[in-house]
Amino acid sequence: MARILAVDDSPSMRQLVKLALSSGGHEVDVATDGVEALQVAEKQQFDVVITDVNMPNMDGISLVRELRRRTNYRFVPLLMLTTESTAERKQQGKEAGATGWLVKPFDPNRLLSIVTKVLT
Amino acid sequence: MGTADAEPPCGCETLEVSAEAAAILLSFAMRESEAPAVELGSALERLGEGLRPLEGGLVREALARDLAACVRALQFHDRLVQQLAVIRNLLTRLTHHPLPQMAGFGALRWEELLTALRERLAAGSHDELFELLVRTGGVGVAGGVGGEPGEGSCELF
Repeated sequence: MARILAVDDSPSMRQLVKLALSSGGHEVDVATDGVEALQVAEKQQFDVVITDVNMPNMDGISLVRELRRRTNYRFVPLLMLTTESTAERKQQGKEAGATGWLVKPFDPNRLLSIVTKVLT
Repeated sequence: MGTADAEPPCGCETLEVSAEAAAILLSFAMRESEAPAVELGSALERLGEGLRPLEGGLVREALARDLAACVRALQFHDRLVQQLAVIRNLLTRLTHHPLPQMAGFGALRWEELLTALRERLAAGSHDELFELLVRTGGVGVAGGVGGEPGEGSCELF
């Protein structure tokens, strides 16, 4: 079981990601944007962070960049989950330090298997 | 010879009011659709919790499959809201008074938006806008999740 932080400004998306990952036995916390995610991530350590890209206050790519600056998140898998699928945006995510790029809509079982994969 | 004198004049002001009304209508529809989507998500969460203690078997597997299908399908809402937000932002570019940017659709921002609009629109336009707003109905859900290239893909770096 892993401790996962799911970051999305859409309430329904937060619920769906939480539901998908909880069904695999993971413990899931949520945040509504990059700023809140940073606050939550500083209070407790997560094994995986899954974040949307376009969010108010702080977008997902900036969040990844910020997390990578912290020593305790240097090697933690950081996954982008977004509707964006252009090579340019993916490259930005990669350069920021993202571990992977998942394009919405996600399949719950696939998301679980990807999380398992990045955790091993 | 026909004349077009019955046609109302269509000036910039009409265009601006229409664009603002359309942008507001979109914001309203987006805001209205959020609560039912969250309600559906909560119901699915409860179903998922109810499913967890059940022993394995065909029924449990079938329910888990259905639950996964719901999770996939309900993501249409997130996509729809994003698309509508893009259209709304395009519409606001047509106006001389861009509407306040709304990241979320909280009541406070919504009220601010309506106040701003009320101050700018003429009395006649208030009626037009009100008519548009109250006519907002349910959103039909047809089909499943769309099929854009790359959707559902995963790339690990």
